[in-house]
Amino acid sequence: MDIATYKNDVWGQEVLRGVSWDLLWLVIVAAFIAIAGHAIYAATQKRGDKPSSEGARVSRHDALDRAYHWVMAGSVFVLLITGIFPIIGLEFAWLEIHWIAGIVLTVVVVFHILRSIFTQDLSSMKLGPADLKEALDDTTKPGKYSAAQKGMHAAVTVLTLLVIGSGLLMFLAIDSPWWERTNSMSEALLGLVFFVHGISTLGLVGVICLHIYFALRPEKLFYTRSMIRGWISKDELAANHDPQRWTPDETS
Amino acid sequence: MASFDVMPDVQLYQPVELDDALNLADELGDDGWLLGGGQDTYGWLKDRAKQPRAMIDLNGIQALHGIRESADGIEIGAATTLREIIRDERINRDFSLLADAAGRVASPQIRNVGTLGGNLSQDARCWYYRRGLDCYRAGGNICYADGPEAMNREHCVFGASRCVAVSPSDTATALVALDATMVARSVKGERTIAAEDFFVGPDTHITQMTSLKPGEILTSVRIPSKWAGQRFYFEKVADRDVWDFALVSIAVAMSMEGDTVADSRFVCGGVACTPHRLTNVERAARGKSLSDESADAVASLASEGAKPLNYNHFKLPLMENLVRRAMRS
Repeated sequence: MDIATYKNDVWGQEVLRGVSWDLLWLVIVAAFIAIAGHAIYAATQKRGDKPSSEGARVSRHDALDRAYHWVMAGSVFVLLITGIFPIIGLEFAWLEIHWIAGIVLTVVVVFHILRSIFTQDLSSMKLGPADLKEALDDTTKPGKYSAAQKGMHAAVTVLTLLVIGSGLLMFLAIDSPWWERTNSMSEALLGLVFFVHGISTLGLVGVICLHIYFALRPEKLFYTRSMIRGWISKDELAANHDPQRWTPDETS
Repeated sequence: MASFDVMPDVQLYQPVELDDALNLADELGDDGWLLGGGQDTYGWLKDRAKQPRAMIDLNGIQALHGIRESADGIEIGAATTLREIIRDERINRDFSLLADAAGRVASPQIRNVGTLGGNLSQDARCWYYRRGLDCYRAGGNICYADGPEAMNREHCVFGASRCVAVSPSDTATALVALDATMVARSVKGERTIAAEDFFVGPDTHITQMTSLKPGEILTSVRIPSKWAGQRFYFEKVADRDVWDFALVSIAVAMSMEGDTVADSRFVCGGVACTPHRLTNVERAARGKSLSDESADAVASLASEGAKPLNYNHFKLPLMENLVRRAMRS
C-alpha cells in the first residue's frame, strides 16, 4: 500500500499528487484494533470503586473553553464528512461547506491559541518527563491533565495546525468572497500541500476515533460530562488527580 | 502525446438482451465502458487517455432502439441514432427542438452512427483533459484550463468549481428545455432522473458528467407532452458550421397565450459544466410578447452572474444575442 500518489506534471516530470486514500481504511482498521485491544485490556483489570459524582463540585472547564471545544468538534466533523465522504463515493456539493467549516475551525483555533497564551496556564498541558513517569506508575496521579490527555492534545494540535496551514493554501486556489482563485502554485508544491492536508486528515481520523472511544469509556465519562457541564465532583477529583498539582476552584 | 494507429486490447462484449448488458455492467462496474456510437469512445481509446478493461457494446440490444409513443409523450431508446431522431415524423411535428438540436451535432457521418445516449453521456471536451493530463477531472489536483496563460476560450462562464470544462452535448440543452426524463436501469431496477438533474457539475461529481452510477445504463429518454407543438428555438454558434462543438448554443421552448409568453424554458449550452437554465430570463419573459423591445428587455439577464475566464468574455454578449434572437417574433 502506497503512502503517496504521484502524477506527471504538464512537463512530463513525476511529481507528488497527494496522499494515497487507501490509507484511510488502514487508519480506521488500526484505530479499531487499538480500541478493541484497550477495551479487552481494561476489561481484565480490577476496577476500583467508582467515585461519586454527588457532593461538592470543582470547576474543570470554563464555559468559553467548553464552547470552544464543541465548536471545534462540530467543525472538524463537518470537515471530515465533507472531505472524506466524496472520496469514498458519497458525492455531493461539498466544497463550499468544507471551506466554511475550515474558516470556523481556523477562527476558533486562533482564539484558543491566544486565550491559552494570555489567560491560561500553558504549563498544565505541557508534556514532560514527569508525565512519562506518571503514565508508568499507577500510584502517581496527574495534575489537571493526564499524560494521555496531554498526548492527545499535542497530537491534535500538530495535526490541526498542519491541516489548517495546508487548507489555507488550498483555499487560495478556489473562489471565495474575498478573492478570485489563483493558479500560481507549481504542481510539485500543490502536490505537497495536498499530501500534507491528506496525511494530517488521516492522522486526525485516527486520533478522533481514539478520543471518542476514551470520552465514552465508563471510567472517563465524568471528563465528558465536565466538557458539557463544566464541573467534576470532589470525589472524582480526589480519585483521579493530585490536589497538590491541581487545585481547582469550588463551584456550585 | 503518443498517438497510436490501432485500438488497444480491450475485451468486447456484445449483448443482445438488456438484462445481459445490465449484468455485465454490474459485474464490471468502473472497468466496463458502455459503448454507443463510439464517437466519444474511440478517441479516448486511441489516444490511450482512458484504458477500460472491457467494453459493453449496446448497439445490438433492440430494446434500446426506436422512438415510441408513451402514456404522456414519447420515449426514445438511448441507442437510437441522431439521424433517426432528425428524420422522425413525430419528433419533427411535436418536438422539433430536439430534431433541430440533433441536426446540429457534429457532421452527417457522425450523426449516422452517434446515438442519443452517447451524445448525452459524452465526456468533457477540454483539451487539457482530453490530452491525458492529470487534471481535477482526471482525478488530479489542478485545472490546467484555469491558469493565467491557459487556453480557455471554449470553457465555462458559469458553475466553475475547480474544473472549468463545459457540457458538450447539443441534445442535452433541448432535452432540459423539454423537461425530459432520463430512464436509467441497473440490476437493482429502474430509476428516472429529470434531465436537469441528470447532468452534474464538478461541485458534485468532478470526474463524471452525469449522475449515472457504475452499473447503470441509460436506456431511454421520455419527453412529456407538456411542450408538444409549442414554439421552439434552437441555435448553435460554433467556429465551424459542421463537426464542431458549440461555443454557445440555446434551446428555447415557449408556450404562448395569444401573443404573450405564458411559460418558457431557456437553456444554454457551452457556458457551464451542465446545460445552463436561464431562469431569470424565463421569469422576465413571462407575459411578454415576442418583439424587439421584449428581446432587448430580457437579453441582458442571460449573462447575469457569469464569471468569464481569460479568453471567453465573448460568450456573454453571445448568450445575450441568442436570447434576443429567440425572443424576436
